[in-house]
Amino acid sequence: MKTAHINSKPARVRATLAGLALVSTAWLVQAEPSGQQASQLAVYQGKAGFVVTSFAYSLGPDAEDTGACADGMSKNLAEIYALKPAGRQQQGESDAAYTERVSKAVAVLATLPNGDNVCLHPESAPVDPYFRTLTRTDVPVAGIDLDGVGADSGQYPVDDFTSADGTRGIDNQFYRVVGCSRSFQSNGPSNIFGTEMLTGAWGILVTLEGIDDLRNDDEVQVGIYANADPIQLSTRREPLAYGTYAMDQDPRFRAQTRGYIRDGVLYTEPVDVRFHSIVNSLRLERPLRRARLQVTLNDEAGLEGFLAGYTPVDAMYDMQYGYRSGRGGDGELGPLRRRLGTANGAAFVLGHTCNGAWQALHRLADGDCDESGGECQSISTQYRLQAIPAFVVDAATASSNAALEKSERVDGY
Amino acid sequence: MVTELQIPPLLTRVVLAASLLSTAILVGCDSKSQVAAEPEPVGGPTVMRRLTESQYRATIADIFGADIPVVARFERGLRAEGLLAIGTGESGMSPFSIEQYDAAARSVATAAVSPGKRAVLLPCQPQDDQIFDAGCAERIVSDYGLRLFRRPLSSAEQDQFVATVQQASEQLHDFYAGVKHALVGMLMSPDFLLRIERSTAGESDTDGELQKLDAWSKASRLSYFLTNSTPDVELLRAAAAGELDSEDGLQRQVERLIRSPRFEAAVRAFFEDMLQYERFADLAKDPSIYPAFNSQVAADAREQTLRTVVDHLIARQGDYRDLFTTRKTFLTRSLGIVYRLPVVTRNGWEETQYPPDSHRVGIQSNIDFLALHSHPGRSSPTLRGEALREIFLCQEVPDPPANVNFAVVQDPSNQSMPTARDRLTAHRTEPSCAGCHKIMDPVGLTLENYDGLGSYRTHENGALIDSSGSLDGPDFNDVDGLAQALHDHPETPRCVVEKMYRFAVGRDTVWDERAYMDYLIHRFVDVGYRIPELMQTIALSKNFFAINPDSGHGVTNKHASAATEKEVRL
Repeated sequence: MKTAHINSKPARVRATLAGLALVSTAWLVQAEPSGQQASQLAVYQGKAGFVVTSFAYSLGPDAEDTGACADGMSKNLAEIYALKPAGRQQQGESDAAYTERVSKAVAVLATLPNGDNVCLHPESAPVDPYFRTLTRTDVPVAGIDLDGVGADSGQYPVDDFTSADGTRGIDNQFYRVVGCSRSFQSNGPSNIFGTEMLTGAWGILVTLEGIDDLRNDDEVQVGIYANADPIQLSTRREPLAYGTYAMDQDPRFRAQTRGYIRDGVLYTEPVDVRFHSIVNSLRLERPLRRARLQVTLNDEAGLEGFLAGYTPVDAMYDMQYGYRSGRGGDGELGPLRRRLGTANGAAFVLGHTCNGAWQALHRLADGDCDESGGECQSISTQYRLQAIPAFVVDAATASSNAALEKSERVDGY
Repeated sequence: MVTELQIPPLLTRVVLAASLLSTAILVGCDSKSQVAAEPEPVGGPTVMRRLTESQYRATIADIFGADIPVVARFERGLRAEGLLAIGTGESGMSPFSIEQYDAAARSVATAAVSPGKRAVLLPCQPQDDQIFDAGCAERIVSDYGLRLFRRPLSSAEQDQFVATVQQASEQLHDFYAGVKHALVGMLMSPDFLLRIERSTAGESDTDGELQKLDAWSKASRLSYFLTNSTPDVELLRAAAAGELDSEDGLQRQVERLIRSPRFEAAVRAFFEDMLQYERFADLAKDPSIYPAFNSQVAADAREQTLRTVVDHLIARQGDYRDLFTTRKTFLTRSLGIVYRLPVVTRNGWEETQYPPDSHRVGIQSNIDFLALHSHPGRSSPTLRGEALREIFLCQEVPDPPANVNFAVVQDPSNQSMPTARDRLTAHRTEPSCAGCHKIMDPVGLTLENYDGLGSYRTHENGALIDSSGSLDGPDFNDVDGLAQALHDHPETPRCVVEKMYRFAVGRDTVWDERAYMDYLIHRFVDVGYRIPELMQTIALSKNFFAINPDSGHGVTNKHASAATEKEVRL
């Protein structure tokens, strides 16, 4: 179907969308007409909209359950220091004295000979022999076959995964990087970054346009945007359907692509997308090259499935480990103290080293590779997402706090 | 507590018969009527009405400034004869109220004499802050006495409050502390907290035994009716000059007040009262059933309808009846979630239209009405039907008998009766229930497409909702039909006229005022059902200020519509 808007359908086609109701610029569409109350799509100016309510990396089972990390988990600098005899607590040494000694040692290990901090310049740091990655291929991971290579070609790449339901060829090198990091296990704190989304720090919107048939449609237009508005929650902190959200006004955070629907599953063509990410009040970007959506329209007129693509290695390092490019509310590079504090603090708490993570990301990167077989610049990344109906509008509306915005730059370095 | 209501069969017939009688009366005057002159005034009692919270706050803001804090919690108003405005003349003052008035008075007086405000708010300053200044004290007491008591102080009152300033000044060695104590005294006085009306003997033979309000009482009645606040300086000047006793002088002031920005507050106050918005203080919804409900939604829902009312009735000078059929409305993003409509504006209000197929039309389909007249966890056709009849049609529905078994209607999980219509049908098999439910349910069931919060739905417990209904004749299948039926119902304009007059005078109408009520209704028809003109007609009518000393004080049960019902019964 080539029409641009739902409301431009010819009468015959419109009839196939039973229950569709034209309400001026806003439409409410029954997703599953039946004897029961049908959930309704939220349609504004011909586009069905959705706000993402759950967003996390698609990872495999915990290493403890699969035994996939036979060499143990990655370590932070304090743990690495403690591996050496001199790094152990000496007889008669008080806890306080030992803690102080470890802190000093960690500070030394985190500093390059030229005085730079390792997290800020991981490319200059020595190899971390204690950073563990997941090497096995028999661990089930759900996701999308991004490169289309190997699933049934007889050239099955050794590093692709197979999902629990038998889907083959799933590209998810990021999982290999973090699979043996304790913070990325199911009870760890690194894969619940979506919590920031529920606080209103950032968000994601999706629009569908030109739908003839919610079950099967050869062509639909798909928009993927950063959300410029905080997500609306109930008093129980649950996202509310049918809220109105504006897409980000920065074109870098807007993407349009085409797709098709087969048996209720939407598949999209690759498109570069970019979202916001905020850590410790540092504003970062979450780009994804050649991103594909593979989502099912569920009974609640929402979406659930995968968004997968290739994350530039430097961007992945920045938003998960180094925070080098974090910016303040004024759009300027954030205070160095906060960026370094966040990176080194995260490494200590989450159980890794900055250089180890940086090296693993580069080693396992599988996208945007040098044609000569050299280094790759991006790494396959799979996200799970859920979304609920929402009206997506394109409007530049000011924040109620706009007048209160001020620079928070306090650069102690 | 009102849950599902019942009415004895006899009274049912009486109510319906009265409705039909009223219908016949209005049908005859619905087209452009011959405007009859105002009948001879009948008059009612003088009333002593307590300031409502909104009137108190507006009064303080008008006299001392909007930034003067009123630190107090106000007692809930008493609703009598369908209006809080009438309850203000009946309610007593509890010790809690006195405590709160005291707190409010101290906060206001403290702020008024504060170093940052005294130069602006006080008409003079003493030579020495620590020494009593008789001349300045007399001027302050005189000026604020006039504004706070809405009349000049008597010489005894003047002396009393000046003495208060002097005594406190000398004991505290602070002139402003003395002024503060005098202001607190005035703010705690019944002459401030109550609108005490005083009458004078009639001036003409045609008045017979009737009396009139004195000029100051006229000013107060006019001001609180047309601005919901205290008389301004110009109105007090006109009262002092005797201008309110002349038709021209009165007309000038009435037109001035209606044209002023303060008039909106009066229209808001009336509709807040009529729509029973004090119930918002108790509004609660089960968050597991209605997750979109929160305090912001409640506040916005209230404001949504008030904005619609003000826009339609004042800004657009619209026909009152069109409030029930208008699709124009105002939304915030919080409301958009409940209505499932897009709201582009991120912060604040967006003027918009309910789309034609959105199943929304008229203020009766707004969620303020739908949520207020529902239960915390389910909708209620009976409560909604009762509210529609009482609020918009002034049709009274008796309370249910005490021994009714509500088990069936209160169990929405009963799979054998999935919809409210099913449950109410079963409930109505009890003869004692049937009478009232025949009145309330047919109109209330039309609103069953809205859940207990007001979101649209097509099914309840998996069963398709049948939203057919009727209202005193017309049958309809949806809210559009209900909207038109309310618009066309002859009781709709009659009800708002009657309520507006009762709101204005703070008492129920009396039987002898029926000709006056007919006059107001005819005028209302002739001016295109426009509320500002109705309020102007009332304010300029002789009956508005007429006092009948024989009518007693307070509320009588013998009001015009009730008497009509009694006539029918007899």
